[in-house]
Amino acid sequence: MPTGGPSPPARPADSERAGGAAVKQPGRRATRTATRQSFRRARAERLAPYVLVAPAVLIIVALRLWPLALGVNFSFTGDGELNGTAVGLGNYLELAGDPLFRTSMRNVGLLVLLLPLAVAIPGLLATFIYLRVPGHRVYRSVYFFPAVLSPVIVGAIFNLMLGYDGPLNSVLAVIGAGPVDWLGDPGIAMFTVTGVHVWATFGMALVVFLAGFSTLDASLLDAARVDGASLGRTIWHVIIPSLTRTIQFVFVTTMIGMLTSMFGLLFVMTSGGPEGTTYLPEYYIWHQQGQLNRPALASAASTVLFVVMLVVGLLQITLIRRAGRQD
Amino acid sequence: MVAALAVTGCGSASRTDSPSGDAQQNQRKLVVWDWKSGEPAAADYIDKAKADFAERHPDVAVEFVAQPFDQYYTLLGTAIQASKGPDVMLFNGGGQIRDRVDALLPLDPYVAEDRSRLAGWEAFTKDGKVYAAPVTLQGHPIYYNKTLYEKAGLDPADPPRTWNEFVSGCAAIKKATGAACFALGNKEGIGIQFFLSGLGSGVLTPQEYDDWIAGKRDWTSPRVRRIFELWKEAGDKGLNSKGANSTAMFNDIFRVFETGEAAHIIGLMSDIAHWRDFEEFLPPDKIGVMQAPVVTDGSTPSLPYDGGIGYAVAKWTKAPELAADLVRSLTSTDALTTFYVKAGAIASDTTIDVGQAGPAVATITSEIKAGKPALHVALSSKTLDVMGRLSQQLLSGSTTVDEALEQLAASDRTG
Repeated sequence: MPTGGPSPPARPADSERAGGAAVKQPGRRATRTATRQSFRRARAERLAPYVLVAPAVLIIVALRLWPLALGVNFSFTGDGELNGTAVGLGNYLELAGDPLFRTSMRNVGLLVLLLPLAVAIPGLLATFIYLRVPGHRVYRSVYFFPAVLSPVIVGAIFNLMLGYDGPLNSVLAVIGAGPVDWLGDPGIAMFTVTGVHVWATFGMALVVFLAGFSTLDASLLDAARVDGASLGRTIWHVIIPSLTRTIQFVFVTTMIGMLTSMFGLLFVMTSGGPEGTTYLPEYYIWHQQGQLNRPALASAASTVLFVVMLVVGLLQITLIRRAGRQD
Repeated sequence: MVAALAVTGCGSASRTDSPSGDAQQNQRKLVVWDWKSGEPAAADYIDKAKADFAERHPDVAVEFVAQPFDQYYTLLGTAIQASKGPDVMLFNGGGQIRDRVDALLPLDPYVAEDRSRLAGWEAFTKDGKVYAAPVTLQGHPIYYNKTLYEKAGLDPADPPRTWNEFVSGCAAIKKATGAACFALGNKEGIGIQFFLSGLGSGVLTPQEYDDWIAGKRDWTSPRVRRIFELWKEAGDKGLNSKGANSTAMFNDIFRVFETGEAAHIIGLMSDIAHWRDFEEFLPPDKIGVMQAPVVTDGSTPSLPYDGGIGYAVAKWTKAPELAADLVRSLTSTDALTTFYVKAGAIASDTTIDVGQAGPAVATITSEIKAGKPALHVALSSKTLDVMGRLSQQLLSGSTTVDEALEQLAASDRTG
C-alpha cells in the first residue's frame, strides 16, 4: 500500500523550514507569532499525510472497494424476473449445486496440483542456460518468444496443431500410435490447455529464474565442481537452496497467472468443453453473465473467485515474509 | 466505448420540433438501430430500402446506426430501460424479441398487406400479436454433395427418403470415396441443435412436433428419445466426421463438407454456412438439399425454419405510422431481392425469383410454405447449454440417453 509513503519524507523537510522561519523573527511579539504559526504548522503537518494519501485512498475506494461491495451486494439478488429482489444465499446455493461450477473449482485444484511442474520446467531450463549448455544464447531468446504472443494467437496455433486431423496426430500415426483427441477427450483436454498455457508463459518465469541465478554465489558452484558433485546433486544441494526466494516468487506469480489469464486460451481452444471439463471460474462467470443472462449468479461466482484469490494472495504474503526472515 | 455508443444512440434519437404540435407532421428524422447496415453485403439493401422510403416521405431523414452485434442487446436493454432510443430496431426472431415485446409496438394494423407475401412471422409473434416484419429466414436444411453421390453410384437427383436408405447410402459413399456421412462440429455444443432440428421432423409425428413448439414437450416420449438415440448411434457407428467434439461448428466443420470429406451437413439457410458459402468449393449444381429422412412411420418431414431477423418499432416512437412505413420499406420486395442477390440471404419474401441461384436454393424456397419452426429454437438458452454438454457426453459415452433426457426434462421444466 502506498498510503504511508509520502508522509515521512515530508515531515523533516517541513519542520526544518519552520525552524528557519522562527529564527528570523526577533522579539516577544515575533515569538508569539511564531508559536501561533508553529501551532498552525503542526496542525497542517498533522493533516498533510491525510491530504496526500487522499487521492490514492479515494481512487481505491471509489474504483475498487465500492464496486466490489456493489458486486457482492448484487450477488444476493435474483436474475430475470427476480431482478433486484433479495434472494439471500440463493445464488450461492445454486453455485454449490451446479456441477459446472463444481467442475470449475475442481479444475482450480488441478491447476494447484500441476503448479510444481509449471515451476520446475522453467527452473530446469534456466539451470541449463546458466550452466552454459551448447547454444544457450539461442535457447534464451527462443524460450522467451512465446511470452510475447497473445493467448488468442497461441490458442489458434495449437487448435491447428492439436486438431484431430492435425500435424501432431499425423506424427503419432507415423510412429504407429493411435490418434489422440487432444481437445475433444474430456480426460485429456484440461491437461492439453494447461500444457499450452505453460508453454506460452514459462518464458517470463525463465527470465525471473535467470535473474535469480545472477545473484548465485559462483564460488559455491565451483566448490561443488571441485568436489566432483554430479549435476543432480549440484542442483539439489547448491542451486535450489540458493534460489529459495526466486522459486517462491515464481510459484506465486505462476499460480496467479494460471487462475486469472487462461480465459483467452479456453475461449479459443475448447469453449469450456468437451462436456464442460475445461471450465475455470473465470470462464463460468463470463458464460453465465454474457451467454445465459444471469448477472447476479455471475456476481456470486465472482465473489467466490475473489475469496479464492484472496486466500492465494495472503499465502503469497506469508510466503514472501517467511522467505524474508530466512535471509 | 459501450457507454459512448449508448449515449450517442440516445442523443440522436428522434425528437419532434414542437412537443405540442402534431408529432407525425413535425417528425423529421427516424433512427434505426441494427447490426446489419454496417456490413458491405447489406449496403445495397439498405440503400434500396432508404430510396423506397424517401420516395413516399421525401421530408423525413433516416439514420441507420450500426451497433456491434455482441453488444447489441446490452445497448438495446439500456435504451429500453430509459424508454428512449431508436424508432426502429432489428431483432433476432424467437426469444430475443419475445423477451422484449413490452417495449415494442404491435405492427398488425400496419403490415396486414404484407402478411401473405412474407414468411416467418411466427418468430416475431407473441400472444397473437406481430412485433416485427421478417427480413430473412433462418433454417436448417440438410445439404448433400452430389459429386460424392455420383461416385458411389447413387442417384443425386433422388436422395434417400428413409433413415435406412440414408444409412446404406452413406455406407456406399464411405466405401467408394472414404467420405464420412455427416460433417459434424460439436465443439461448442451446437451440433446437437442442428441435428435435433434438421432430423426431428422425420421422427416426431406432426402433432408431437406442434406440441413441442407450443411448449408441451414430453421428454419421455419414445419418439423424442429416438432422436437422441440417433445422435448416439450416428456417433457410435462412425457416421460423423472424426473428432466431432473438438471440431468447431463455426467455421471449421463447413470446410470438411466443402472439401468433400463428408457427404452431408445440416447447415443454415441465411448469412453463413449456407449454399452461397459452399459455392466457394462446390459448384452450385453439385449442392443438393434433401428433406429429413423418415426415421419412424407417421412422421411428415418438413423444412425447419424461423424468421431470422426482422425490424420492429419502438413503443416510445413519436411517429408510429412513419416508423411502421419504414419497416415496410425495409421489407419491400425490391429491397429484399437486393439483399438476397448481394448477401445470398434467403429473404422472407416468397415472391422473389430464385431460379438463377441453382437447385439448392430452389429446393429450399419450395419447402418454405410447408415448413415449420425449428425444434431447438423453442428451447431456452439454459436448456440449449445443458443439451450442448450432454450431446458431447453422449458422443464420448460418458452418459446414457436416459440420463440425458432426464436432465433435459428437468432443465426444460425450470425454464
